[in-house]
Amino acid sequence: MELRHIKNRSLVNFRMLVRILGWLLGIEGVFMLFPAATSAFYGESDYLPFLIVACLALFSGAVMARRSKPRFEHLGRRDGYLLTASVWVVFSVFGMLPFIFSSAQASVSDAFFEAMSGFTTTGASVLVGTENLSHGVHLWRAMMQWVGGMGIILFTLAIIPMLNHSGGMQMFNAEVTGITHDKIQPRISQTAKSLWTIYLVLTVVLVLLLWAGPMNLFESVCHAFGTISTGGYSTSPDSIHAWDSVYIKIVMIIFMFLGGVNFALIYRFIHGDFHTFRRNDVLRTYLIVIGLTLVMFVISIIYRRQVYDWQSVTVDPLFQIVSTITSTGFTVVNFENWGSFVLAVTFVLMFSGACAGSTSGGAKIDRLLYLFKNAHNEIYRCIHPRAIRSVKVNGKVVNTELVNKVIAFLCIYMLLVVGGGIILASMGVPVVDAFFSAFSCLSNTGLGAGVTGVGSGYEILPDAAKWVLSALMLVGRLEIFTVLVILTPTFWRH
Amino acid sequence: MKIVIAGSGEVGSHLAKLLSAEEQDICLVDEDSRKLAVLDANYNLMTLEANPTSFAGLREAGAGSCDLFIAVTPFESNNIVACSIARNLGARRTVARIDTYDFMDPRNATHVAHMGVDSVIYPEYFAAQEIITSLRRSWARIWFELHDGCIILAGVRLPENSPLAGMQLKDFAFTNRHFHVSAIKRNHETIIPRGGDRMEAGDILYFTTTRDHIADLPELAGKTRHSIRRVLIMGGSKMAIRLVNSDERDEFKFTIIESDPAICARLTHKCPDCEIIQGDARDTDVLVEAGIADADAFVALTPNSETNILTCLTAKEFGVKKTVAEVENIQFIAQAEGLNIGTVINKKLLASSTIFQTLLASDTSTPKCLALADAEVAEIEARAGSRITRTPVKEIALSRDMTLAGLIRDGQGMLITGNTVIEPGDRVLVFCLAGALHKVEKMFI
Repeated sequence: MELRHIKNRSLVNFRMLVRILGWLLGIEGVFMLFPAATSAFYGESDYLPFLIVACLALFSGAVMARRSKPRFEHLGRRDGYLLTASVWVVFSVFGMLPFIFSSAQASVSDAFFEAMSGFTTTGASVLVGTENLSHGVHLWRAMMQWVGGMGIILFTLAIIPMLNHSGGMQMFNAEVTGITHDKIQPRISQTAKSLWTIYLVLTVVLVLLLWAGPMNLFESVCHAFGTISTGGYSTSPDSIHAWDSVYIKIVMIIFMFLGGVNFALIYRFIHGDFHTFRRNDVLRTYLIVIGLTLVMFVISIIYRRQVYDWQSVTVDPLFQIVSTITSTGFTVVNFENWGSFVLAVTFVLMFSGACAGSTSGGAKIDRLLYLFKNAHNEIYRCIHPRAIRSVKVNGKVVNTELVNKVIAFLCIYMLLVVGGGIILASMGVPVVDAFFSAFSCLSNTGLGAGVTGVGSGYEILPDAAKWVLSALMLVGRLEIFTVLVILTPTFWRH
Repeated sequence: MKIVIAGSGEVGSHLAKLLSAEEQDICLVDEDSRKLAVLDANYNLMTLEANPTSFAGLREAGAGSCDLFIAVTPFESNNIVACSIARNLGARRTVARIDTYDFMDPRNATHVAHMGVDSVIYPEYFAAQEIITSLRRSWARIWFELHDGCIILAGVRLPENSPLAGMQLKDFAFTNRHFHVSAIKRNHETIIPRGGDRMEAGDILYFTTTRDHIADLPELAGKTRHSIRRVLIMGGSKMAIRLVNSDERDEFKFTIIESDPAICARLTHKCPDCEIIQGDARDTDVLVEAGIADADAFVALTPNSETNILTCLTAKEFGVKKTVAEVENIQFIAQAEGLNIGTVINKKLLASSTIFQTLLASDTSTPKCLALADAEVAEIEARAGSRITRTPVKEIALSRDMTLAGLIRDGQGMLITGNTVIEPGDRVLVFCLAGALHKVEKMFI
């Protein structure tokens, strides 16, 4: 950028932000045409609200993109953070409108919670009577997760060539999960395209596999969107029990698992780079954690005499583990009968999340790996104070600054859980529920708030609590720093 | 185009940023993850932490399938090895940065090619050539010629008393048909001028003209010619050694001032024909002793840009007619030009000129390119059937960041006016602002 612009520029290039937001809104409008068409296809009256909101999004998007005339196109680091965070909020605001005006007839708080929960792939639902929702609403809930899973910005980077410069870089960094961001291709748009291609292919395969089972095409599509994005919305109030099919559970386990793997790694695997794949510590830890918790779950299930058939000690616990660690949030029927030990382990799984660079939530295994390796070194140094040891992940030494960043992240993460829990408790939510739901939303898992009192979900929470949880979901999805940095005074100061 | 750059030092990272802005696919390889992290987070390119002289590292970087491999680590031999590996893996073109003349010597060309190095970047050599050119034509800031001088682009700073100062460009064009004002550099900005723009004193004007008329340019712009004979050089850097050993050394009488006695001792071996003075050139006494009063030109080549600029200013006060400063911070170039330092030398820009030439070479045989701080000048051959050849120039919708200055047809140079129709095979001199070269190139293919 030229010097004279630096002198004249305000902290944030608002006009450029508005223009890009306009483009993105247009994309959301296009997305909304799908549920509109679906509703029309099934002969439901909901096609109209969808069509109107879609036109509204397209129109306001066009106005924003055309009317805003930026003096220069340069996007800095602040712009990247602010844009990414505001995109997610704006998307949720427009995404909630169909819930308000359609047959779902949700209140504003409920609709915003539902939309934010969808985009952040939390999958916590406050809409009651899901069986009565129209096909359009179901598809829209599923699509929100699907788009949010890989990332709104990443999708845009893949299709809008105008963002293929360093400004797009800043947005990519602000949105993609993980400590460092693997670029698999030299240019950001190519990286985005490759990642979305993998995502798309996985989704299509999953749709076909589910369709081959007891689900019909519509249900397959909705569940495929909710599974690969590790979201967790279902078209049935009984979630996946409605089908009671081992086949579906197994297929979902595989794809939830894949949704929790770093997509850059999948790309490398597809391109024959088995070397990187094999020496990837994070993937190995992911598998080991799943294996170990499976053993714990099975022991607990047997101890509590909950074994009814062979599935109760194989598919069911595995499904529950993978669903929790990848932050999908589907549950199996008698999960609550497995005991408090299992619930405690579930906490840990929710916290850990799956691999960075995947669609899953949580703190990510990568970070925990850094933390544990660093802790191990510190303990070793108690005995050998002169020893120099470095944190080594995936065969590469991680520099100390990165380790510090990770530790800061994990501390803030825990503080947010505590803070969120206290705020919810002050609103009259029972303490355990308060902390569990704050945790569940921050890690984008969306396991029911009513774990202690089964049968009720997030809908029983007061409205204010829903807004708090929506905020936590956003903070968790954008991995804390992106949102928090905007709230610091330094962000708005020269 | 896929480009792998080995080494993220000053030259490497400059090239990476520049080529990324030109919409090329860049992968930058270096062993220092800290250097890479900054570039990775802020620019649209990929970085890889790996040893640039290892097969594993270069394979991972995709050197085997890249169109261009550029080795710009600080060590010449590493660069040669890296190029050799990349070539063996299957890189289409390789470029190595060198710092001795050995690898450029035409006698060794086949051996160098055999090692897998297609072309070399030798910034010190180019710098020496540029300094020589600027000493020969002390009135010009920048001198760029095509085809043995058929077409010449000369950058001239308009003095206060210049007859051109205040003149509108359309009036100028009306009376001077043999000169084309391709660009104007004013303060920190280079602009591609239109008919309504005025030329002002203090501007650097980039004139394009043909061989027959270049002699009239100094007078037209109000510049006086000086013949340069005695040249004082500050700093015994590699560039200085290259300069005093260049083929044109007999035209000048060089004196090198160097503060480090150890370097001075070495300089006596390496520069047998020139006088060496040990002392700090920032000290006026040393300058006087070295003969600044009689010197025609002062060339500051220490590693410190600020020292170079300030000492050149001191030299100007002594009445030296031409000063040349090595300025490595690109932002300082405009400042240095504003302070009336005659010619500014920058290794990174010289390196990028070579790379742009290599990029363009996929289309034309021996193109030339000159990278300025925020603009590029390039020679591009018009292909048959390309967009540029179809209509007269005035009917082509040229974007505002480029201009067509002149062309060479059948070995004859001519300027381009609105009515000129470019024919296939013409070699056109294009002046474009930074980041627009790929746009220009598309019009010629």
